[in-house]
Amino acid sequence: MEFVTNLILASVRMATPLIFLSLAELYSQRAGLVHIGLEGLAAIGSLTGFLVSHITGSPIVGVCAGAMAAILVNMIYAYATVTLCAEQIVYGMAINIFAPALASFIYRVYFGAGSELVQVPLMTNLSALLGINADSFIAKLFLEQTLMVYLAYGLVIFTAIYFSKTKSGLNYKAVGEYPRAAATLGINVIGVKYIASIICGALAGIGGAYLTTCYTTTYVDGNVAGRGFIALAAVIFGRWSAGGVLLACLFFGFCDALQIRLQVASFNVPYQFFQMIPYVATVVVLAIIGMKKAGPKSCGKPYRKEER
Amino acid sequence: MKKLLALFLVLAMAFSLVACAAPAAEEAPAAEAAPAEEAAPAEEGKVYKVAMICDSSISDGGWGMSCYNAMIDAAAKRGWETAYSDSIDQSAYFDTIDSYCSLGYDLIYAPGNQYTDAVLQAAEEYPEISFALLNGGADTPAKAVNGNVTSLLPNATQIGWIAGALAGLMTETGVVAFIGGMELDTTKGKYEGFKEAAAYTAEQAGKTATTLDIVYSNSFSASDKGIEFAKAMIDQGADVFFGDASAVDSGARQAIDEYNASKGEVVVYDIAQPGDLLGQNECIICSQVTDNSSLVALAMESVENGILGGDVIYGSMENGALYAGAISDLVPADVQAKYLEYIDQMIAGTFMK
Repeated sequence: MEFVTNLILASVRMATPLIFLSLAELYSQRAGLVHIGLEGLAAIGSLTGFLVSHITGSPIVGVCAGAMAAILVNMIYAYATVTLCAEQIVYGMAINIFAPALASFIYRVYFGAGSELVQVPLMTNLSALLGINADSFIAKLFLEQTLMVYLAYGLVIFTAIYFSKTKSGLNYKAVGEYPRAAATLGINVIGVKYIASIICGALAGIGGAYLTTCYTTTYVDGNVAGRGFIALAAVIFGRWSAGGVLLACLFFGFCDALQIRLQVASFNVPYQFFQMIPYVATVVVLAIIGMKKAGPKSCGKPYRKEER
Repeated sequence: MKKLLALFLVLAMAFSLVACAAPAAEEAPAAEAAPAEEAAPAEEGKVYKVAMICDSSISDGGWGMSCYNAMIDAAAKRGWETAYSDSIDQSAYFDTIDSYCSLGYDLIYAPGNQYTDAVLQAAEEYPEISFALLNGGADTPAKAVNGNVTSLLPNATQIGWIAGALAGLMTETGVVAFIGGMELDTTKGKYEGFKEAAAYTAEQAGKTATTLDIVYSNSFSASDKGIEFAKAMIDQGADVFFGDASAVDSGARQAIDEYNASKGEVVVYDIAQPGDLLGQNECIICSQVTDNSSLVALAMESVENGILGGDVIYGSMENGALYAGAISDLVPADVQAKYLEYIDQMIAGTFMK
């Protein structure tokens, strides 16, 4: 029983940054922008969050700064792909190469080439803020989490309502489906795409900053560790819906937590067998749910106002 | 116009990347320069240069940090210039080495068994450059067709002994744990040494110590994996940890500190390596220290004498390259005394005999 409860707690911990990154991708793709540069945005968010948290002593300020930094970097992508109609995949890849290198460069400039391990205090859990002793599994699951975890799940609910129940959300989705038709209805297509880029940058930056302000006390180059790409898969996996994305992230988090726990618990089984679990599970689930295209129809296509 | 702007953006990013990725050449600090007799190179007036490549960060609080400091210390003693590239991908091992070779570096320092193939390939292409492979195989220098590779080989089993002996003495639950980064021969050697020493010293103290199966994070930078591994191992009853996984070990220490904080006292311990990290985290009770700088300095001396490789430079407790660092007050005085007794036995070659 303890194995299961600890596994669930670990899954929630590991899924949270994925939720932020997946929502970032969802907002981007819903406006017709395929963004494969989440890894880079999260890297710059992670470094900025760590750095500002280190300077100010406030993880919350660090998270906000991480979001701002990722928005700034994402404006390069937005300007190139929305205004200049450049290839989205290429610029996403460029962000993936550029942003982590920039993060590494800033870290070295600020902390020097010294090799001391710098650590920052993490964001306080809700249970600690409320002065509650979270001993039981339920208390740990619902109370022993940082504010960012509640924000992540709150954003999932907000996103689900926004895209399906509000006029603004439907207009937003229309830009990703039929931008020219949306334009004829008076929707500012370019404006929505820029807003999508701002939201995408902010959420990806928060996802990265979560790693260094809520999860680990240190910043290490490469700490995003492929989460940007997993988030991309989670959006496809979740069929471009907020609920689906949440389930996909929890599934990926669960599989990763499971392989770690099984590596520790099982004797005489080669560790590679357990490390395969997340990947095998992904292949199996994708095979079951099918590969039918369900994404926004103008996703990845440049929008040119003057084009017929 | 738009195409030009797009081109400009790409170029701007490319230049930024080049600026970030360029090898960071550093002169040895003047204040730390070695005495004249040590700094005098064999080739009059020549300033020798060493470059280090590393797949983990030099500020990871573990392996990368220790290996970088070893190079800096050795370079300062011998008056060499240094450069490094850290956090590089496996796919970039050779290209990074190649770029330093092209820049005329005299010695390439690769701290890890995982660089062996890239080093051997580069050593074949650059016969005039020397390569030092920390934790390289004993047979690696013989594989270099130009004879320009040196293996710096700390005794992995003894490294495991130093940590395992204390783990066996300190465990209360009878379960100790080891976290590996990648499945390397040296990591497996450390694990085996740790396991046998923990079992032996615990038995001598009238208890048992079982080492959990080795786990691998498959990364040296995933500190979050270290947190999850440590939490899972604590759930399995582990109360003394040792690791060979760089930043992953830092994550494990974070999880241990959090667990101890929740208990209100330090009940789970960590033994660090390869530098003396006592004080970095509350849970660290001792460190296994490898004096890599002395090994790197020997490789530098060989280069200055015109010998580019072909040797295995061993690091052991007997020659002082391996030792136990400072011991925390969390270790009771009688346990400290017993542990130091075991350390003396290891140096004398009588441990477990």
